Amino acid sequence: MKPTTPVMMFVAGALVCASMWWPSAHAAAPAGGTLKVCADPGYPPYSDRDGKGFENDIARFVAGKLGAKLDYVWGDTRGHGGFSEYLARNLDNGRCDVVIDMPYGNQEELTTNPYYVSSYVFVFKKNKGYDLQSLDSPELRTLKVGFESETPIETGLQLRGMVLKARSFDIGGRSGTSPRSVLQAVEDGTIDVMITWQPSIGAYLKDYPDLITVTVPNSRATGSPEMYSFPMSMAVRKDDQALKTRLDALIKAHTPQLQAILQRHGVEMAGAAASGDMNDTAGR
Amino acid sequence: MANESLMQMAKDPNQWVMPSGNYTAQRYSTLNQITTGNVKDLHVAWTMSTGSLRGHEGQPLVIGDMMYFESSFPNHVYALSLKDPGRMIWSFTPDQDKFAPTVACCDVVNRGVAYGDGMIFANALDGYLYALDAATGKVKWKAKNADPETGATQTMAPLVVKNKVITGVSGGKFGVQGYITADDINTGKQLWRAYSTGPDAQIMFNPGKTIDGATGKPVGKNSSLKSWQGDQWKLGGGTTWGWYTYDPKLNLLYYGTGNPGTWNPTQRPGDNKYSMSIIARNPDTGEAKWVFQMTPHDGWDYDGVNESILTDTVVGGKTVPTLTHFDCNGFAYVWDRRDGHLLAANKFDPDVNWASHIDLKTGRPVVNADKMTKAGVNVKDICPGSQGAKDQQPAAYDPASGLFLVPTNHVCMDYQAFNVKYKGGFPFVGALVSMYPYNHGDVGGRFIAFDAMTGQTKWVINDRFQDWGGALTTKGGVVFYGTLTGWLRAVDLKTGKVLWQFKTPSGIIGNPITYTYDGRQYVAVLSGVGGWAAIGLSNDLHKATEGLGAVGATATLGDYTNLGGTLMVFALN
Repeated sequence: MKPTTPVMMFVAGALVCASMWWPSAHAAAPAGGTLKVCADPGYPPYSDRDGKGFENDIARFVAGKLGAKLDYVWGDTRGHGGFSEYLARNLDNGRCDVVIDMPYGNQEELTTNPYYVSSYVFVFKKNKGYDLQSLDSPELRTLKVGFESETPIETGLQLRGMVLKARSFDIGGRSGTSPRSVLQAVEDGTIDVMITWQPSIGAYLKDYPDLITVTVPNSRATGSPEMYSFPMSMAVRKDDQALKTRLDALIKAHTPQLQAILQRHGVEMAGAAASGDMNDTAGR
Repeated sequence: MANESLMQMAKDPNQWVMPSGNYTAQRYSTLNQITTGNVKDLHVAWTMSTGSLRGHEGQPLVIGDMMYFESSFPNHVYALSLKDPGRMIWSFTPDQDKFAPTVACCDVVNRGVAYGDGMIFANALDGYLYALDAATGKVKWKAKNADPETGATQTMAPLVVKNKVITGVSGGKFGVQGYITADDINTGKQLWRAYSTGPDAQIMFNPGKTIDGATGKPVGKNSSLKSWQGDQWKLGGGTTWGWYTYDPKLNLLYYGTGNPGTWNPTQRPGDNKYSMSIIARNPDTGEAKWVFQMTPHDGWDYDGVNESILTDTVVGGKTVPTLTHFDCNGFAYVWDRRDGHLLAANKFDPDVNWASHIDLKTGRPVVNADKMTKAGVNVKDICPGSQGAKDQQPAAYDPASGLFLVPTNHVCMDYQAFNVKYKGGFPFVGALVSMYPYNHGDVGGRFIAFDAMTGQTKWVINDRFQDWGGALTTKGGVVFYGTLTGWLRAVDLKTGKVLWQFKTPSGIIGNPITYTYDGRQYVAVLSGVGGWAAIGLSNDLHKATEGLGAVGATATLGDYTNLGGTLMVFALN
């Protein structure tokens, strides 16, 4: 169990990022030219060299709509220095021009408007019938809990004094590990419930038909705002407003198709999914 | 017309016909059978289980010889006979969307039913407003005002104004675009809906007529849109789950809006109007007369939904119709309620430190730089915490002294601002680290007698935990309030001395009312602490064996109380 808090992890990452980043001036990907997509060659279900991940499908769709040739620039998103270093080495230094999957509002790069929203979920065996509706569900305290480290779930468990008893996984921090392994851990009974980001395991749920997922809702139960659902965007370099503009227009015109691609890969949209339009006004 | 007869009924102190007593939300009763002299003889007259263990905010209504109240989810509505104490004449439980509890953020509370035109109006958590025949409980109509599939729920008490039932909406997962709705009292048909953020037509602002109380000038075109970047106003929040009031002479409806949609301030540069605002609207048309934003570009999660109490205040020798609002952000705002002109904004908790004061000229907080939340930096000891110096628990007013009796929270926080990050495949955002009583001490709540114009506190009762229930003032000189540990207290309005108290079965987060039956005065309150308050505190006050923040705390709320759901009614011998 890592004793460091998320605060310390941020600072460490920032120092590494600052020393690696160097600015470059780049023209936006020209229409009809090449769309250079930054992707991980070995991180299904997100992306892989065989083009089978959902980011690969999204990239193909986007390149098609932009009338551009699709070119991949491969890099390990989970290597030394983590995602920040990956961005610095690949996107910021101009080797590639767009990252397909990035939380909206991230400050390291320039994010497009979001094209889907998803959330962290509980994953457990359906036949156990656990009553899990939020991190405050009393039954959660009786179970063997697994969680992805350095995520809002870790913080949520810390706030509730539950983290020391839970088992942490580091799929997002260790190259070569597969999100499938956390589902297997539930299947094996190593843990009773896994709490993780739905898109990381959505594609594998069909192989585990006895497992179900329950959304972890955003909460103010402890008084602290706890955010477990995230709008997701694409990202470009901070100075590449031109490409962002083109991608925003594409997202505005094609959100239902983009979401359909994700859904084919088992990604579960949260909330606005029913309307198919990220920008639909809630409450009407 | 419901309004005329309802207004007449609201003047009768023997009844309690509106959630806040009457349209002013003063929660003051002219009953004086119970006095400072005899309140020590108060005892339990009768009780009744509510059938629900979740948090019981809100209060019962008394209409004639009937009492009506609504429990927390699953939202049982009860009609009780006062003649045969506690006998249920009818009860009603809505058949609800099971999805609703999972999206309700802060325990599945309900803040009470409303009455008008022989009907009881009850909100269900899943967003349906029911109109029930007050005599039989039969459903006359229902209207859907919130959709849990989009993350919205409904917890507030409706308000009947003229021929309309006004409801708001509670926020949910991704930032609902908040609104209030007016439904026809006879049919449930939606008459108008006014949003809190967005284009002028949606927020029902008239660019040339709606006044910004801070400037005294019309708001101008698209004043909300201009304060947001891109399309984020669509997830703009500004939910409306608090208490509503109404001035029949000015024909203005008053309410407050909640925080901006996403908690992450970096996702929404700009002032984010009109989150965190008081809005005054014409209930006939829905058009806004004036608006005042209290916490622009909120970075601390201080909701603006608390009640707007209507009183007359002498200012500079003149009597001004005022609206007083004890905001989550720790400041007690006093406005001229005709036009939103700010008259005073004093701290009602001296330890509030996120802002030094409110600039009366601009209406804006003067923020302390060292308490500004910063991405990646853990800012410590920000007061109040994001539960607010006062949340929805309503204050009361004593006309004899001009003082407000205010249940408050005395809790601070260490806050790390949101900075959305990505760890290979996993989005992350920094969360608040912890909340704790001020100075990690023993006082988590203060019940105060406060002069809103001068900012002076006349007396204080210090409580271990937040004072999460509402207040009731009476002509008999007694103010009633309940503690989170379950004590219902009768306090001398003049001195703050506790004259009587009774330990109810569970913590009190509801609001006491008073009424008479058969010539005898009664005090009633709902006892039932629910999950939200208990969780927020149990984290904070656990011994520091694990978790973040809490250092050297001594006890948990769980040592003092438990979940529960009981209606308690008290009387003299």
